Amino acid sequence: MLHLSFTRWSQAVLLIVALLLPLGMGPYWIHVGAIAWYYALLAASWALLAGYAGQFSFAHVAFAALGGYASALCAGQLGFSLPVAIITAILLAAVIGALIGALVLRLSGPYLALFTLAISEIFRLMLVAEEDVTRGMLGLPVPGLFTGKSDIPYYYLGLALVVLALVAMNGLLATRVGLFLRAIREDEGAARASGVDTTRYKILVFVVTSVIAAIAGIYYGHFIGILTPNIAILPEMGLVIAMAVIGGIESLPGAVIGAVVVFLLSETLRSYGEWRFVLMGLALILVQRFAQNGLFPVLESLGRRRQERRAAIPSVGGPSNG
Amino acid sequence: MSYFLLLAVNGLVIGLIFALVASGLTLVFSVLKVVNFGHGSLYMLGGYASYYLITALGLPSLVGVAGAMVALFIFGVIFERLVIAPMYTDKVERKDEYAIIVTFGLTILLSNLGLVVFGPFSKSPPSFMPGALILGPLILPYDRLIAAVVAVVLLVGLTLFLKRTALGQALDAVSQSRESAAVIGIDPRRMYTIAFGLSSALAGGAGALIAPIFALSPSMGDLPAVQAFIIIVLGGMGSVGGSIAGGILLGLVQGLGVGYLPDPNRALAYTQAFGALLLVVTLLIRPTGLFGRSHLRLE
Amino acid sequence: MADGGTMFFSVNGLSKHFGGIHAVENLSFTLERGEILGLIGPNGSGKTTTINMVTGALRPTGGTIVVEGSDMAHSPAHLFARRGVARTFQVPRLFRRMTVLENLIVPALSDYAERRSTAEERARGVLQFLKLGHLANQYARALSGGQQKLLELGRALMLKPRLLLLDEPFAGVHPRLLEEIIDHIKSLNRDGHTIVLVDHNLEAIQSVVTRVMVMARGQKIADGNVAEVLQNPDVVRAYTGTRTSH
Repeated sequence: MLHLSFTRWSQAVLLIVALLLPLGMGPYWIHVGAIAWYYALLAASWALLAGYAGQFSFAHVAFAALGGYASALCAGQLGFSLPVAIITAILLAAVIGALIGALVLRLSGPYLALFTLAISEIFRLMLVAEEDVTRGMLGLPVPGLFTGKSDIPYYYLGLALVVLALVAMNGLLATRVGLFLRAIREDEGAARASGVDTTRYKILVFVVTSVIAAIAGIYYGHFIGILTPNIAILPEMGLVIAMAVIGGIESLPGAVIGAVVVFLLSETLRSYGEWRFVLMGLALILVQRFAQNGLFPVLESLGRRRQERRAAIPSVGGPSNG
Repeated sequence: MSYFLLLAVNGLVIGLIFALVASGLTLVFSVLKVVNFGHGSLYMLGGYASYYLITALGLPSLVGVAGAMVALFIFGVIFERLVIAPMYTDKVERKDEYAIIVTFGLTILLSNLGLVVFGPFSKSPPSFMPGALILGPLILPYDRLIAAVVAVVLLVGLTLFLKRTALGQALDAVSQSRESAAVIGIDPRRMYTIAFGLSSALAGGAGALIAPIFALSPSMGDLPAVQAFIIIVLGGMGSVGGSIAGGILLGLVQGLGVGYLPDPNRALAYTQAFGALLLVVTLLIRPTGLFGRSHLRLE
Repeated sequence: MADGGTMFFSVNGLSKHFGGIHAVENLSFTLERGEILGLIGPNGSGKTTTINMVTGALRPTGGTIVVEGSDMAHSPAHLFARRGVARTFQVPRLFRRMTVLENLIVPALSDYAERRSTAEERARGVLQFLKLGHLANQYARALSGGQQKLLELGRALMLKPRLLLLDEPFAGVHPRLLEEIIDHIKSLNRDGHTIVLVDHNLEAIQSVVTRVMVMARGQKIADGNVAEVLQNPDVVRAYTGTRTSH
């Protein structure tokens, strides 16, 4: 029932390409690719939260920061072993995610956006101000996960996390929970009147997506080796939103592809400086204006139409098939 | 005592600028039911517009401010027509999210355009009038005085416009009920455009007024935008009077807060966080703002 | 219990205040199983507020709502739905970007008691009943206004309702479809559904119900046989707008 989903065939091809890519790439692009997986995790989980469940949150990158800082502090200051530090950080994100989910139960639309924007800013400002703990803008050193200088292990770890997150989220959406989340997005009152325990599912979706965002932050921190509060600034959130919206806010693989394409483009066009982000802002507005579900579903439906014409089989079913 | 007075007066001037920014945001919110996440970049754009009108065309300072407002009005009208207006058709689903995304996209677009076109380094337009007014222990630079006076004139003008003119009444009618307004012959779509244009002009005017006091930079709009969100939530999401009062109050509180808290780095971070906390708490207590009308979802 | 007319739904002293406004004040009524009641009253008389309270969408300021022996006045809406108290809205509130079939299976799956396959089977049955079978895979937003009303009725039916509250089912409906909706309501009632009907269309209401309850300014002013109630001078006054002097 995953509407606008990407065909399994092309997903498999893309996965193989992603697996083989490091063979032909220099260290710079492997590094870039490994960062792209960080954004892919964020964009896909934000697409679940905002696109599927209709909870437009600006606090998503704050959860990445929460995960990254928590894991780094547990492993550093508190002296936990790395696995324990990581698990602690994930559990913390789940608890805070549930808390935020519970706090915003009555908020929707612009109110929810403003609330999460404020929460995110408060958290970032605390990271800046509490220098004794976080080292503020100087940056917090984070121990690495692998020995050796190569980024290749991180690249594959990131890819594995993206695949796992997609499988987990798609698995969740394939159950009745996916149906309930869409019902909540469409009309919360009507969902309640249909017997859906909206409180439970709204909190659930905040927990799930916050945990994935935190895992992204943990991965990023241990990979890059240093964290600054800038991981949670508004332009970073803007980047994630742009990636998901351009790729397809209601399609998890679309958001992943959006993230990878936008990030790789922005790296390729580095010499154009801030013009890249001018372009991104413009693309965000234009995509939203003319292809509200993102570019990816548009491409997908073009591909499907061509396939169908070639097969000359009359199309079956309605918009839910795909 | 004189230190207190100095901080208070400076806070008041900044508060008046906040009030201008917030009243524009409120106007769009109450008429279009849209929170404009791009409001801060319109403020920035106004600052630069007046800078170039003054330095490149050699216009007198206050004419530059007026010119910036006109330019921003036109920009707002065009943006509303091209990007916001489709929201009122069946073509756009998820209207709340649409509005957030396109206005937030405007911020990304304009703030980065500011960086490449105007450069990352701050610019300062010539002051309105050099020197300062000295009243006993109080020293008030003329730039601040003039900015405050112009802001008051604009705010009073806005209030009178909304209360006394037919167009202002029409805007108010649409803000209360677009259906009823349509019944008595007001075209709500036209009012949306006008409200967005006016709102942009107010933001632009505020940016132009602040320019000689603080320098211009492409990110200058970020902070006032956040302050304006706080103000309109506190002031009740839709009340122009409430947002003016809220703006002045917030300016005063922050002016005094930064001045009196020890450890300037922490004070700066936490006065900003304090505003955000105020917003969080207000939304939790009353999701529609403290004194606000209930928010009507677009259908 | 002896004659099958067991009283299973009762409202006692129900009130809702918004600030100083008393939208509903001290309202009491009971429904017997299988009964069909028309709820009428001028605009702003508290009908929809009442519906919202007895389905859990609004929390009452005071009073009780007893469904089959237990007070549900403070239960959330989804528990009302799971107890079989189903409703429709004045303006249909469908899951617009979900298919007709998906709209119907949400309520069936919501309490985790039913498998998806049986839910789909039942949904197709409901679509057949409503003559919407050919639209099963359409997005709900693509339906005409009348079809949306029918689909919303279908969604309520998927809850296997014991009590069905229909908020203005006749409003804005094409005359041909009006007949159809009236027939549906009649046949649902014949099948044993208990129904409360809120509408302004007195003629349509009269053709379906025998008992009618009238509200004005948040209070019940009459309750009984349709013909008698409509003769009641209080009711006439409430509708013509003349103020009664209390």
